[in-house]
Amino acid sequence: MDSQHLNPSSLKSRFTARFLRALIKINAQKPISSSSPREIFQRYRRIKVAADKSMAYSVRSRRTWSRATLWKLRSRSRRRLASSGRRSSIKTRTTTTTTTTTTSTNHRAAIVEKTSHEKENKEDHVGLAVQAEELRELVPGGESMDLCNLLDETAHYIKCLTTQVQVMKKIANLYSLE
Amino acid sequence: MQPCSREMQAMNSLLSPTQQIPLQDLQPNGNSGTHQAQIHNPQFDPTSSHDDFLDQMLSTLPSCSWSDLKSPWDPPKSDETPPSNHDNNVGFHYDEILASKLRQHQINGGGGGTTAAMKMMMQQQMMLPGRPIAAAGGGGLTMPLHNDIVDGSSFKSPNQQGGEGSVQALYNGFGAGSLHGTNNQSPNQPQHFHHPQGGNMQTQSFGATAGTVMNQSQASGSTTGGAPAQPKQRVRARRGQATDPHSIAERLRRERIAERMKALQELVPNANKTDKASMLDEIIDYVKFLQLQVKVLSMSRLGGAAAVAPLVADMPSEGGDCVQTTAGGGGSLQRNSNGNQPSANNDSLTVTEHQVAKLMEEDMGSAMQYLQGKGLCLMPISLATAVSTATCHSRNPMINKGSSSNHPLLQSNGDGPSSPSMSVLTVQSATMGNGGLDGSAKDAASVSKP
Repeated sequence: MDSQHLNPSSLKSRFTARFLRALIKINAQKPISSSSPREIFQRYRRIKVAADKSMAYSVRSRRTWSRATLWKLRSRSRRRLASSGRRSSIKTRTTTTTTTTTTSTNHRAAIVEKTSHEKENKEDHVGLAVQAEELRELVPGGESMDLCNLLDETAHYIKCLTTQVQVMKKIANLYSLE
Repeated sequence: MQPCSREMQAMNSLLSPTQQIPLQDLQPNGNSGTHQAQIHNPQFDPTSSHDDFLDQMLSTLPSCSWSDLKSPWDPPKSDETPPSNHDNNVGFHYDEILASKLRQHQINGGGGGTTAAMKMMMQQQMMLPGRPIAAAGGGGLTMPLHNDIVDGSSFKSPNQQGGEGSVQALYNGFGAGSLHGTNNQSPNQPQHFHHPQGGNMQTQSFGATAGTVMNQSQASGSTTGGAPAQPKQRVRARRGQATDPHSIAERLRRERIAERMKALQELVPNANKTDKASMLDEIIDYVKFLQLQVKVLSMSRLGGAAAVAPLVADMPSEGGDCVQTTAGGGGSLQRNSNGNQPSANNDSLTVTEHQVAKLMEEDMGSAMQYLQGKGLCLMPISLATAVSTATCHSRNPMINKGSSSNHPLLQSNGDGPSSPSMSVLTVQSATMGNGGLDGSAKDAASVSKP
């Protein structure tokens, strides 16, 4: 299996390294044999977040979708920190969340408004607006791009997702074969 | 006559150095600042023949005598009366001039690349529907040969004020049009329209002297929405050959999108669709599927007592991986489900489920393989619901039957591990567009509730 990681700086090897490190950390934090469903669910969440995060980090914000993912994760963690720090006052928590959400919504709204105008100019003749919208929802950070860039981002995103899935499958194999 | 003479001088001064322009300067992407080669490259795909053609134009231009150029120009000039008709006449005859020049060149035995020249000429002719911008566009074809000025002024050589003014107008109209086009361009295409902006600075200065004729034609030449006063002589641009910068931009954009779709087609399996819309559907489904796989895999990484076999059985291309993982999953199940082994409650199970349940009692691995052979897999309820909600609105609705009882996330079954019934989950590879529920869609196992 090591023969497949020939290129030490390839996307696959970068992602694998990061993800394994994150997994080790997660396993160290919580004991593996946690039985309550809630804890299992939490663990699943953590792993998934770790996977997405390590993939986005490996791409290094060279791409819009990776930047959007990192930004989303960071804002979410910031929100959680804020909310956990002020658990006593619900009002503060809601304020924090609303502030973050409003910032994000404003940010998004500004971008969407600006690009919707462009979109109208450029997408009329193509007639693929519906699917373009759906693709935008799927690909992180896809709201603010025209079809051309969106397809570009989608291609890269698909490539990264396939890498992620491959690596995770192999790790799952290793885990299960122990 | 003053501007004309100045241009003649400029042209003469420029003509000699331009002869030595190496061809790579004229290539679409090789040039950075000197030539406007990029202007019309989007229009002409055969850039190699473009280079041949340019080469010939370059070599033949000095050899062509000005009288040759003048002669086709002069007779039409006599017809000109109102300036508003100028552009169109000029446009037409511009075409003829180019055609005649090319014919001359061919007659003179310009060797190889004649077909290329013919091709370029054809394209040019199609490109010149008589609108001033179009004509200037035709001039713009030859403009890449020489910096900004020469060919435009080469056709100004018939030293008539009207002629010069109108060609000026053409040139400036083109400049205005391209500027306008530049403003409307997405920032993705800087290389195509960047240079006219630089080049037009010079042309604007030349045009300043022209006067009302030029202004009028410039106004009519701007490409905003098609000038209002278009005489009937305007030839309608052929489909796919429009020279309006807007349509050029549109065409360019469409080409880029097609390029990207092709690249995506290679990434997405089962991508034999020719239709753009269905291709996009495939892409969307595939992205959803991949995201789902990541979720599933992260669930399986728990590696503890809560062992699951959570892979979606699907695409033939991943059959090998599927077998691998489910075998692995089966191994884990085997390891962990010894204490959790349910006793099959066969009341409402179908044959398949009977079989599977029996197999599971003996050997987990073989049970998994049996399922695999049928194109089925075990899946936890939560995942099954997630999968069904994720793809229920796609064109190929997934069939979810039953659930695995081994999974501790099984909330609905109350006592998870000890639930007696075992059902087999069928997951369609809906995301891979297997054309509906055929192919890998085996006989669906019925849902059985504990």
